[in-house]
Amino acid sequence: MIRVAAVGDIHMGPESQGVLRPAFDTLPECADVLLLAGDLTRHGTVEEARVVADEIRGLAVPVVAVLGNHDHHDDRPDEVAALLEDAGAQVLEGRGTVVDTAGGRIGVAGTKGFGGGFVGRSAGEFGEPVMKEFVRYSRHCADGLRRSLEELGGQDCDVRVALTHFSPVAETLAGEPLEIYPFLGTYLLAEAIDTAGADLAVHGHAHAGSEHGITSGGVRVRNVAQPVIKRAFNVYHVQGREPAGAGAGAGDERRPADVPSPGYMT
Amino acid sequence: MNEHSTHPADDASPAQNIEYRVAHLQDRLTKGEAAEQGVRVEARGPAVLLTGTVPSAQCRDQVLRAAEEELAGFPFHSDIVIAGTDSPDHAEELA
Repeated sequence: MIRVAAVGDIHMGPESQGVLRPAFDTLPECADVLLLAGDLTRHGTVEEARVVADEIRGLAVPVVAVLGNHDHHDDRPDEVAALLEDAGAQVLEGRGTVVDTAGGRIGVAGTKGFGGGFVGRSAGEFGEPVMKEFVRYSRHCADGLRRSLEELGGQDCDVRVALTHFSPVAETLAGEPLEIYPFLGTYLLAEAIDTAGADLAVHGHAHAGSEHGITSGGVRVRNVAQPVIKRAFNVYHVQGREPAGAGAGAGDERRPADVPSPGYMT
Repeated sequence: MNEHSTHPADDASPAQNIEYRVAHLQDRLTKGEAAEQGVRVEARGPAVLLTGTVPSAQCRDQVLRAAEEELAGFPFHSDIVIAGTDSPDHAEELA
């Protein structure tokens, strides 16, 4: 069993320096890894990124992050990411990483993702250049997530997690105005997750949304935006693969993404 | 054609229209110093209601300052809370 701690939308700035550190210092007692689901800063400035970097520097658990739209606002996402990486985090965009923990081997595939909406109510790649670019960018992010998850599938991970800022499903947006759903996520992310397979999907972005959701392929989705979980982070205990020989066919094969196990249907 | 069109009443001017004031406040919260998209601004009868969770007291103050300036003349109520920073007291089992 792997213990995954996650939070997004911490929106830090100089005024909030140190507010999360006391809780983060308790992570080794309850988690094997900390996932940060984007919007770590308020305006995406270097000054704010330094605050986040200091908040996670030297933590006793590995930190894996994606950036959010706020982290892009000052047009310096690479500098923000570099500061976080300098503090020990891995910042993912269209790629994955494998973290070896006491609980097992966890693969995390990450992208910020983007909007576009959900099945039957989504934006199309049509019309003005800016509209086509909007949809292409969202598709590009989703394709990166799918490729990363597929690559992790060949790296002997016990658990694979999809980490995004935008939401892959509408369920975890419940509480937000319906009219803004297309700006909060896209089904393309869920399709990528279900195609490649994952054990958990974690996102932020929807402050007024709900924590719990599930893709149509049966992958659990958790909205860990800090305003939603109302804590410094939440912890999810994710069951890894059964040891080889523990059951017929167990250990060598991953659960097909499009065939949820009975447990995923409850 | 409208007899009021050349002599708009004060309460019919765009500046006195509560819906536009709400929209302008929302726009300012997004683009301004607060950079806050998580605060909901809604007209409720003759007043405006602000709800949501923000990361710090300073951010809440920035939101309230913006509301005072943009909604000048309209009363507003704030139910904005600050995000919790405690450690969780339990984990969720994803069996």
